[in-house]
Amino acid sequence: MEMKEQKRHQQKHSGPKVEKKKLKRQGGSAEDDERKRNPKAFAVQSAVRMAKTFHRAQDIKTKKHHIPLVDRTPLEPPPVVIVVVGPPKVGKSTLIRCLIKNFTRQKLGDICGPVTVVSGKKRRLTFMECNNDINTMIDLAKVADLVLMLIDASFGFEMETFEFLNICQVHGFPRIMGVLTHLDSFKNNKTLRKTKKNLKHRFWTEVYQGAKLFYLSGMVYGEYQTQEVKNLGRFISVMKFRPLVWQTSHPYVLVDRMEDLTDPERFRTDPRCDRTVSLYGYLRGTHLKNKGQVHIPGVGDFEVADVNFLPDPCSLPDAQKKRALNEKERLLYAPMAGVGGVVYDKDAVYIDLPASHVKQQQEEVRPTTELVQSLIDTHATVDAKMAASEVSLFSGSATLDPADIDEQMKEEEQAWDPNTQRNRRKVVFAEKEEGSDVSGSSDEDEDDESDDGDQEEDEDEDNLSTFLKEARAKSDTSKKNVREPPQVKKQKLEERKEEIPVFADSEDELEMSEEEGEKQSASEEEEEEEQGKYTVFAEFILLFLSTGALKWKDGLQQKASEAFLRQQEADPNLRKLVYGPVVEAENGAGEEEELGGLFRVSRPQNSKKVQANAFDCSRFHPDTSHNWDLEEMLNSIRDCFVTGKWEEGQDAATLLKEDEELYGDFEDMETGEVHKGQTGQQDPNSENDDHDDEVEERLVKANDDEVQKKKRMEKKRRLKERFDAEYDDGDATYFDDLKEEMQKQAELNRAEFEDVDDGTRVQYEGFRPGMYVRLEIPSLPCEFVTNFDPHYPIILGGLSSSEGNIGYLQMRLKKHRWHNRILKTRDPLILSLGWRRFQTIPLYHIEDHNGRHRLLKYTPQHMHCGASIWGPVTPQGTGFLAVQSVANFRIAATGVILDLDKSVTVVKKLKLIGYPSKIFKNTCFVKVGKPLFTSVYPIGISVSMIPKIGLARYD
Amino acid sequence: MASHGLAYDGCNFFRQRLVLSTLSGKRVKIKNIRSKDDDPGLRDFEASFIRLLDKVTNGSRIEINQTGTVLFYQPGLLSGGPVEHDCNTQRSIGYYLEALLMLAPFMKTPLRATLKGVTNDPLDPTVDLLKSTALPLMKTFGIDGEGFDLKVVKRGMAPGGGGEVVFTCPVRRTIRPVQLTDPGKIKRIRGVAYSVRVSPQMANRLVESTRSILNKFIPDIYIYTDHMKGANSGKSPGFGLTLVAETLNGSFLSAEMSSTPQGQGGPILPEDLGRNCAKMLLEEVYRGGCVDSSNQSLALLLMTLGQQDVSKVLLGPLSPYTIEFLRHIKDFFQTMFKIEVQKPSEDERKGGDKVLMTCVGVGYSNINKTIK
Repeated sequence: MEMKEQKRHQQKHSGPKVEKKKLKRQGGSAEDDERKRNPKAFAVQSAVRMAKTFHRAQDIKTKKHHIPLVDRTPLEPPPVVIVVVGPPKVGKSTLIRCLIKNFTRQKLGDICGPVTVVSGKKRRLTFMECNNDINTMIDLAKVADLVLMLIDASFGFEMETFEFLNICQVHGFPRIMGVLTHLDSFKNNKTLRKTKKNLKHRFWTEVYQGAKLFYLSGMVYGEYQTQEVKNLGRFISVMKFRPLVWQTSHPYVLVDRMEDLTDPERFRTDPRCDRTVSLYGYLRGTHLKNKGQVHIPGVGDFEVADVNFLPDPCSLPDAQKKRALNEKERLLYAPMAGVGGVVYDKDAVYIDLPASHVKQQQEEVRPTTELVQSLIDTHATVDAKMAASEVSLFSGSATLDPADIDEQMKEEEQAWDPNTQRNRRKVVFAEKEEGSDVSGSSDEDEDDESDDGDQEEDEDEDNLSTFLKEARAKSDTSKKNVREPPQVKKQKLEERKEEIPVFADSEDELEMSEEEGEKQSASEEEEEEEQGKYTVFAEFILLFLSTGALKWKDGLQQKASEAFLRQQEADPNLRKLVYGPVVEAENGAGEEEELGGLFRVSRPQNSKKVQANAFDCSRFHPDTSHNWDLEEMLNSIRDCFVTGKWEEGQDAATLLKEDEELYGDFEDMETGEVHKGQTGQQDPNSENDDHDDEVEERLVKANDDEVQKKKRMEKKRRLKERFDAEYDDGDATYFDDLKEEMQKQAELNRAEFEDVDDGTRVQYEGFRPGMYVRLEIPSLPCEFVTNFDPHYPIILGGLSSSEGNIGYLQMRLKKHRWHNRILKTRDPLILSLGWRRFQTIPLYHIEDHNGRHRLLKYTPQHMHCGASIWGPVTPQGTGFLAVQSVANFRIAATGVILDLDKSVTVVKKLKLIGYPSKIFKNTCFVKVGKPLFTSVYPIGISVSMIPKIGLARYD
Repeated sequence: MASHGLAYDGCNFFRQRLVLSTLSGKRVKIKNIRSKDDDPGLRDFEASFIRLLDKVTNGSRIEINQTGTVLFYQPGLLSGGPVEHDCNTQRSIGYYLEALLMLAPFMKTPLRATLKGVTNDPLDPTVDLLKSTALPLMKTFGIDGEGFDLKVVKRGMAPGGGGEVVFTCPVRRTIRPVQLTDPGKIKRIRGVAYSVRVSPQMANRLVESTRSILNKFIPDIYIYTDHMKGANSGKSPGFGLTLVAETLNGSFLSAEMSSTPQGQGGPILPEDLGRNCAKMLLEEVYRGGCVDSSNQSLALLLMTLGQQDVSKVLLGPLSPYTIEFLRHIKDFFQTMFKIEVQKPSEDERKGGDKVLMTCVGVGYSNINKTIK
């Protein structure tokens, strides 16, 4: 049918209607008119109704509010974890491959372990494929930021999809995006549309109304269509994520690299020995403290021996104003899949050289020269680090023979992962320096040598490594230089062992001048100063006492207190005083006890023995040197009181003056009189005066300008504050105040440690999320290494201090509506709670009206009930999920933790039949049990006679 | 389960270790408790402290060897509720109360502890001091509201005891971070002059001599005289004085002195005591900071247990007890404080150097509290 040409609307320019409209546009709005014209219609009909509408409006308004939280996201956030879930053969790997290709222009064969890519100027993504295995699903649901849920449209939803959704619901709901695949299998367009719609609505009911569902229409050469993948990628890279409670309160690492560090000799003698393993990954969640506890789902709880942060292997591009990433910045990092180029270790750098295993495209991306350059750079710094750590060890009044260090390095060298079939070459550190070996045990040396020989054979073919060795040799010489002096010092230490702790305290000039005679050279002195770190004030006094040297005896206390005050004066000193040399103590954690067999490192713990049994009192006794009878002493605190002098800005006189300036001018509206502030009148005068004396005062003025400027700024600020208070605070609610407070706290959090270098910062606030960290875990069961499969995720979930304990957990539990059987008390269940998955035996109970918990045989069909288990302590409010068997729907129950305790009372009605054997006062002893059984128990029950009836009542 | 116990030597800082162990859930083993002493092992007051800890917790395991030189403590969960405890008279109630103050906000149910024993002695912070300084300090951390109170029911002086205090504290799930960087100027001085089983004139004499010194600085001084009689006066005679200086920004600095216990050393004149106590307050003002020297560790603990935000507090010079406490915090919570020294400028007359302590809270949440 032919479409008729429709007549266009013609706007009227004259007539009564136009007049009316004009009037309306000019004058007050129509609504106002309406109200005026027809007041009855807008009158209050019913006060109750009005109250109700008002309430409703307010309810809706307040419901929109969330409790404001302090924004703790780091400046450089860790990569977003994107978990791709779906039943098998739905196209998960294909999708990841397509997305990776979209972001990095690289093809990845096997998706093995987490793959990290740089997707934009400010965002990195980590893709992880989720197997169709409930354990994997549970683990990944806990770390996911975004879930791409693949659905085979030709088949419809599968159980796994719903299982995963339910798992997500329990462990905090990450962002979920559905992706429909296999849409090309539909021949009929109408059925396609219908299916899409059906699936979409079902998806919405499960996630939320309007949840995004993506359609991947078909495959082209075994890949999804480029445009569609690009769109999906755009969606991902602009997506915002909500903070999840569990994730933001616990540090966690999705491991993307694993190295076995076990001593090969131990491994050879006992193949099933516990392994020392280092695990790598981006730290997420919150700050991770060194030496904490972690849980590895499926493996267990472990103490972390050491945490270091490493240079970011997949770093964001430098902040520059430009539109898109260039090819070099589109990094890809997937060590488990064999992609990653340079791999950094604590004290080694591994390079992937293009061999037969390695895929061609990697070479194209990474220029080799640059690679080598970076390698050498790092090499040097690592070396420097090593040297530094050595010096500090020496200063700990103990000698560390180089063999120790070398041996430590050895261990690192041997770290070869049999699982990754890669031709990896390692930068060799430890060529032996036999010369500098003094006290190392000989057999160790031999071991090292032979091992070294092996290493070098490999290395010799490669001229790259020889080049590196040269560099190494250079740095070695420098290292030797550093090493030499301590040997001399060792003897010196012996001589003056007694007094050293007394003097050892560092930078204070006074002390130094006293002992000038004893000092030989300045360079040595510097090293000795380090020992001061170990001394503690309290011991300080005691050591003074114990040395017993006569010259110290006079004015002992005076000196001690002076020393203490001086200790407090210098900032680094105070820190050392309190914590000892933290960095060194941590570096040499293993070998601090006895080094070289001669000396002990005087850690505070050890040296404290002297006062270990002292009087335990929090009182801080006053300094005797202060004589509060003296006038000057009294004067020294004069300004601490309100009667004393005030600061410039807070002085009452200045404040008053400022007020006058602000509010000086006002007009009395009644009389029309205008009052002028005094300053206003005087200003021109003073300016004139200034003008006259300009020449003389020029110098002074230049100085004054600064002050004036400051004053003006201050005044402006105050004015602004006043203005804000007047105009904003009117409708500022409690909510607004709270929000502002959180904002301030967030700013403070950011600013506080901003200018501190990472090494120190890490000590104060722990490793912050976004860092690439290496965790060393000793004594992992060997199965972890032997059965290592990168397709399964390895998660290091940090535990807070008390979460390593066990206790009774009381929880609210509900059988899942799709699980077709009710659950029986004492039937074992597998719970997923916090980071853990564990089996336990729950007792179901329900709370009676009198508040006691009565045991239930089975969970109710559709109701919540209580459950008590003996399990790991987990904060209240944490959700959990129970799995019983591998039936058609595997999730048996869900719930939440309510209470933690070390004991729990669940009561059960007991019916015992017996006969009374004896009555003693108010207690009747009843023999219970069948006469057939010989063991009969007398049970004490309190008895009271019920009058008249003459029956005994047993309670 | 991985082991995460800590081991220490000697009985010094006994309370710190047990309190931090209870809060962190880490077990602790203390060896060589007075092992070289003529009278080895735990003293009665330490045993009494352990008993108190056992009363406020549920499921803690305490093992002590035959001689009492080795203690193993596996903490349970803090239960709270009504607790009554006869504190050993070797130490005053302050010794026990200091630990309870640290634990009380993290109980399952609000704590209501009745402690009996010595309320005032010259060694430990007295209950009056804790009442006037520790409680307002805890309020700044968000532990306040109804039922946060410390009441001296009966006063018992040193050797005999016979005093009684009631401490009630609400529970909190989290502790909020604080920024106490400016103490402000002292606006008033308050105090309590107490006397039991001696002439009530003693208290008045104390007040007079104290004022003679403090009046040079500020006129707003009020010292309450508290003379308890009869059943409320405990078993031993004595008197003493607690002084508290309150600043504009709501921080409290305090000093106190008690008469020497009966039968231990020579008598002391109330005038001398008053003057000395006033001087100690001046010393405390000289040290300065937002928290007085006896409560430094409490403030640092609450900062550590705060949410994962930066907390700051300005302190006077760190006491040896606090320094050790910082080390223990590092052992138990792996938290280090940033310690900066603030020197007073030339023309300022505000006492000695101050120390600015900064830390990031561990994000501690009260795992004992029940949710419904």
